[in-house]
Amino acid sequence: MLMGSVRNEPAGEPTFEPMIQIDMEIKAFVSAWKHCDYVSTYMARMISQNRSDSVRHSNLFSSAFNELLEVAFRTRHTDGELACRVSRHGATDRIELTIPCVPEERQFYQEAVSHVAGFEARERYLNSVSGDLAPSREVVLLELAVDYNATLSVEEAESDAIKLVVDLPLEGLQH
Amino acid sequence: MSPYDLLPRFKAQYDANNQEFSISGVIRPQAIDELGPSLALLRDAIGRVRGVLYINVRRLTQMNNAAFHAFSRIIIDACRALPDLKFVVITSSVVGWTSRKFGRLSGIEPNITVEEYDSEFYPGQGFLEEGGFVPILRTQTKLTWRHERTILPRHGMSPGIVMADICCGIGDFAVLVQKEFQPSRIVALDHSISSLDYARRVMREFDIRGIEYTYGDASEMLLDEAQFDLVTCRHSLQIFNRPELILKELYRICKPGGRVYITNEKNSHCLGEPRAESIRWTYNEVAKLFAHFEMDVELGPKSRRYLIEAGFEDIRVETFMVTNMDGDPQDFADVIVAWADVYAGDMASRRGDGPEFVARFRQGFQDHIFAALHPKGYAGWPIWVASGRRPQ
Repeated sequence: MLMGSVRNEPAGEPTFEPMIQIDMEIKAFVSAWKHCDYVSTYMARMISQNRSDSVRHSNLFSSAFNELLEVAFRTRHTDGELACRVSRHGATDRIELTIPCVPEERQFYQEAVSHVAGFEARERYLNSVSGDLAPSREVVLLELAVDYNATLSVEEAESDAIKLVVDLPLEGLQH
Repeated sequence: MSPYDLLPRFKAQYDANNQEFSISGVIRPQAIDELGPSLALLRDAIGRVRGVLYINVRRLTQMNNAAFHAFSRIIIDACRALPDLKFVVITSSVVGWTSRKFGRLSGIEPNITVEEYDSEFYPGQGFLEEGGFVPILRTQTKLTWRHERTILPRHGMSPGIVMADICCGIGDFAVLVQKEFQPSRIVALDHSISSLDYARRVMREFDIRGIEYTYGDASEMLLDEAQFDLVTCRHSLQIFNRPELILKELYRICKPGGRVYITNEKNSHCLGEPRAESIRWTYNEVAKLFAHFEMDVELGPKSRRYLIEAGFEDIRVETFMVTNMDGDPQDFADVIVAWADVYAGDMASRRGDGPEFVARFRQGFQDHIFAALHPKGYAGWPIWVASGRRPQ
């Protein structure tokens, strides 16, 4: 486990303080599906300790984070590193997931994130639940926005990687 | 194989009597095939029921989208094929995501409704949350703490342990334990949001560390199993209509070799001199009043049986009497005043008691207060303490 340095935000952007970071070889990560559950559960527990309701926060965070990791698990790129970093600003926890990806996947993520931001996100999500046999990766990202009020963006990473940035205001979702 | 693989991750079952299909645990499959038997069970249940099928996800702690889609598709398809069949999904307010996620289904098919399981399991909670009961709860704990601080070490309390206080209320017991015994961690759980808000405010104001307050249902907790050296649950089994369900959960979260500590009353044994007869009559009626609302405030001496039946060993039971001689007699009197307000007030009124009964009922409390404040008087409130060890 590595603790990252303080992130430098552009002027006007809130400063997110680093909480925890886990780096894994993508080969090791995709070698077992249960790694998604392991990592999401472990990180959720670690970062929820000082939330107003640690148990509920941990459950919510793990639920959302696991979906992201399951998306990452399906990467077609077999080299490089997966980096999971969580930072915090007030009631919002930010997950930065750096995933090795092939160029088509990069395009997929950019399009998926733009759909998430669209006003029809909820509609698209409901259509998928009522019509699809299994959720696509895009629908999984949509669900984060619909059920967890997440905001998603994509940032440039090194050449064969992409960084998904997901802000989760989970404190506000609680009682 | 790692211990992870050996743990049962989820369970699906169908209860034909209640027409209820329930899923519990953690469901995060990679492929839908892994859910084959559970999906088949749901399909089978749909084929058997008439009218309504309850889908109980109260104890579902995690479910990924792959599984959610798979179960949802079967339910949605059934709605379309069987328009007379209704589905009621029962979620828990404790598991934050379930109501939101399953709630979407009612927007897709009108025959699906989603109900958040609420606080009906806590019949006493409403009475105790209303009417500014907080100062009295604090005074009660102050009175019992004089005794419990010396009793607790005989039941597993020691510095550095990891403990849980279930049904923590306003959190005052957890704070006293933290100061006196310095456990390494306390998780304090309650199902009353207003009590937890109060507890967190106290924690902030007094800069108390090491206590994690969490919202939860004592009979179905999100807490992992076997993680606490000591689990306390005070004055709560008696106001719960199915105490064995809570004990089962207390057992589950307690480490093997750890102890579960419970305190309960036997209200009919409250006593006082002078005016003993009037006091005795009123507290016998208190027991009957609580029984009317499915609460057993006579549970104290039954603690041993409950602990044995829940699977505990090395059961230890002792009693203590909170009296007017424990510090300021006015504290004792203040507690009785609050009991009278709630018991002879709201509770008696909701049971439909007439004015004559209420007047006599209230007189017993007045006499208990009289005994407490009388210079030669004696007033008592007996408490049963019991603990059991979870077998290794």
